[in-house]
Amino acid sequence: MTDMTHHEADTSPSANGDGSTEEFVEQWRNAAYNCFSSGHKFCREVCPVMQVTRNESWTPTAFHANVVAMEKGELEIADIAEDYVNCTGCGACELRCPNTLFTGDFYRFRTRTVDLVKAVRALAVDNDVHQQGWQRWNLLTDERTHEPVLGDTPVSQEHVRDWSDGLNIPVGGETILFVDCEAAFYRTSVPRAVAQLLQRAGYEFGLMNEQWCCGGPAAEMGYLEQSKRFARHNLDDWRANGVQRVLVLDPHDYITFTEDYPKYFGADYEIEIVLVVELLAEMIRDGRLNPTIPIERTITYHDPCRLNKRKGVWKEPREILSAIPGLVFNDVDRVTQWSYCSGGGGGLPIEKPELTAKISESRVDKAAELGVDTLVSACPWSERPLSEAGDAKQIDVIDIHELLAESLGIEVGGRRGE
Amino acid sequence: MTIAPELAEPVLEELRQVLGDEHVLTGKAARFNRARVPAPFPVHRWAERVPDLVVLPGSTAEVSEVVRIANAHRIPIVPRDGGTGLTDGAVPLRHGIVVDVKRMNDIKEIDEVNRTCTVGTGINMLKLNEVLGKYGLIYPDDPASYPCSLVGGRIGTSGWSLIGSRYGHSRDLVLSFDFVLPSGKVIHLGDGAGHKLSKSSSGYQLKHLFMGHQGTLGIATEATLKLFPKPEAELSPFFAFPDYDSAYRTVGQLARAGVATFAGAVLFDEWKVDYLRRDDEAYISQPADVRALVCAVAYGYEDEVIAGGRRLMRIAKENGARYLGDEVSEGDWAARHDRYATPLHGRTKAGQVVPMSWHCEDAAINYSNLPQVRIEWHEIVRKLRERFDMFDDWGMFTYTSANTGVDYLAEIDVGIWEQQLDDESWAAWVQAKKDIAAVALHYGGSISACHGSCREGEVDLVPQELGGGYDVMLDVKRAIDPNNIMNPGKYGLDRAYQLDEGVGR
Repeated sequence: MTDMTHHEADTSPSANGDGSTEEFVEQWRNAAYNCFSSGHKFCREVCPVMQVTRNESWTPTAFHANVVAMEKGELEIADIAEDYVNCTGCGACELRCPNTLFTGDFYRFRTRTVDLVKAVRALAVDNDVHQQGWQRWNLLTDERTHEPVLGDTPVSQEHVRDWSDGLNIPVGGETILFVDCEAAFYRTSVPRAVAQLLQRAGYEFGLMNEQWCCGGPAAEMGYLEQSKRFARHNLDDWRANGVQRVLVLDPHDYITFTEDYPKYFGADYEIEIVLVVELLAEMIRDGRLNPTIPIERTITYHDPCRLNKRKGVWKEPREILSAIPGLVFNDVDRVTQWSYCSGGGGGLPIEKPELTAKISESRVDKAAELGVDTLVSACPWSERPLSEAGDAKQIDVIDIHELLAESLGIEVGGRRGE
Repeated sequence: MTIAPELAEPVLEELRQVLGDEHVLTGKAARFNRARVPAPFPVHRWAERVPDLVVLPGSTAEVSEVVRIANAHRIPIVPRDGGTGLTDGAVPLRHGIVVDVKRMNDIKEIDEVNRTCTVGTGINMLKLNEVLGKYGLIYPDDPASYPCSLVGGRIGTSGWSLIGSRYGHSRDLVLSFDFVLPSGKVIHLGDGAGHKLSKSSSGYQLKHLFMGHQGTLGIATEATLKLFPKPEAELSPFFAFPDYDSAYRTVGQLARAGVATFAGAVLFDEWKVDYLRRDDEAYISQPADVRALVCAVAYGYEDEVIAGGRRLMRIAKENGARYLGDEVSEGDWAARHDRYATPLHGRTKAGQVVPMSWHCEDAAINYSNLPQVRIEWHEIVRKLRERFDMFDDWGMFTYTSANTGVDYLAEIDVGIWEQQLDDESWAAWVQAKKDIAAVALHYGGSISACHGSCREGEVDLVPQELGGGYDVMLDVKRAIDPNNIMNPGKYGLDRAYQLDEGVGR
């Protein structure tokens, strides 16, 4: 479906500046009314937050209706800001919305709940309505140029490449591998697996000169000015060092680089973004990678929301898994997985770790029903909460890149979290 | 808006003790979002419908405690389940406490031997069927709101099911339920001491009384449901006709044929086909000489669906139907049933596309009266549109309610540009609804087969429909809810209390 309205409607002119509710309402009123007037609420039972809280205030329907109430002068940003914490940005609601399913084809319209949630969060920040956890998180990110994913253990610029110790990856080059904060500092086994897979296939790449956080999380939490500042830094660094292609292993980065950056930088944005999981599937297809070592596990695959629901990427990970010998793969189709989530996205674990834990438990329960011993994901941000939930059910949570590396006899190294 | 005085501390504190702080919501947004349902809503008067407080109980015992506290303090209670109803049952008319039961969505038991399951009433049917599917079972209560409405709301509204001609409607499918009375007392309604019977003749048959009351008698909290084998085959042929009359004749014969797997039939009238042609991007377009459509649906084992389907196809053919083919049939049924697609826009008289809220006025009508009701209903909407551009006639669907063809759910769909509503147009809309209801009664029908009839306008005619039965309703209401705390203002039931003040019936 072509989305003609997308870019012009999402320029958030006032974010982190003189955020005016009038301007915000003007921008979102029709989209909000499209939902309000439908009242279908088909989105509700696929929403991961709704599934574990059953609180109607935290549904896509409410998120839209609030805008109508703001237009009518009944609600203000301070009345609603806290409710908008309760969204992982997974995008399931958009897929289930009749407005997207049907009206979309005709009018080039789609429901954009995820963007709406981001816009409300930005409006809140513009109006000095902060969520404590998010404010602190972004302050620390600003200080350290990386997200404080290790809690009290500081992260810093000096350590952002530590994950690659011993792998002899050069810095710079036309193609660089961008590693998100969670993978770079917490689950270092993921980037190590990715790097060694690419090396095994003879693919040339380097590391970024001075990598900062992609800025995506700041935008998701409403700190748009900071997000843009970080994006600017990264793009300048890429350009200064002749980077033409950025490889990403993290679905969240993939969204940021392919959706946020083009909005920030417009037509000038020339960087090619390559999703590693797609690249690896291609390498298997054309024989550059040939996994031969059997892995004796019974697995199911967790479709990361940002790949499956938001980018329509679901085939390549299954291709990779099917190529690994020894696996018993109890797959669940991608549409059923619209209502699955780890709860790890959209800043939810920072403000409401208990909800993230419940969502992950529910996801792991569904895996457990399939009689598997391993849940494979392709998103580092999902792997921490899923692993915690998996421990209680004796289900191992493993990254698809780690698994593929193992089947190629690669000793990955690094840590799968703490 | 501030919280009503009777809801200040210490009542609030009492409720928090029962439910925990996080399940007592006082925030403005939480309350505004429980003020409306998808029924046409006077957006300009939103604040009038906002409750003072929202509670999210997690058990029958908690619901009972909340109701007991409210009753002691004479605070109105409004039960809210899915909030997907079209008759404003869940809309607070006197503020008070909204009791939102969505957290009560456990599956407590699946009894494969007796083919029942017992669930919290906050569960959604689609989610329930995801679980039942693993046992090869289905709970076939299938309204338009199937992906989002909840079992409790189906009880409160005595819901109608699209495939009810085969499987029955909510009142047939819900075997029994736990119910919190306005005093806070918990009773069990339905047949048998063990809660799992479909038929007894012992005592008053109270189950029906406590279904369809729109939350005016209490709150259902746990229900035992009748289950069926998950059908292995679905047949949904679509037939095209050059005129309404031949489509009408066909749908009658299909329904009267007595085919066991027949689960329902839908008739699209000329206005509906015109509207779909004009504005529904999901509609698979047909030649211009197609003026009316009929869809029949059959469910069951493959062998019986094939056999029954042959008979249905033959009947349609004998009546001059043109079968639209497998692709259109499967696609259109999927669009209309599985996803319940409806365009969310209409046109002004000048042809401008505007966002509109879909609204359907429904009635239960005998087969023989459908054609005349249809003509009169369209005329009412035509006159309304003539005066106010924010209303658009989206045509009529007519659905079988039963497996003998005796009665039908007739609905006229009206697009409403709610953003433009003001007091004058709202009043005209209310009058139109009343006129639509009056036509249904004139032809011996019921104001509603499906949604209920407690909104402004049509509600005035309920006594006329029920005859002396309405006085019994008043007596029952007063006996069960002496303080009028349970969803007050609905169904004109305030009259039950005015009797005390010397006002006659």
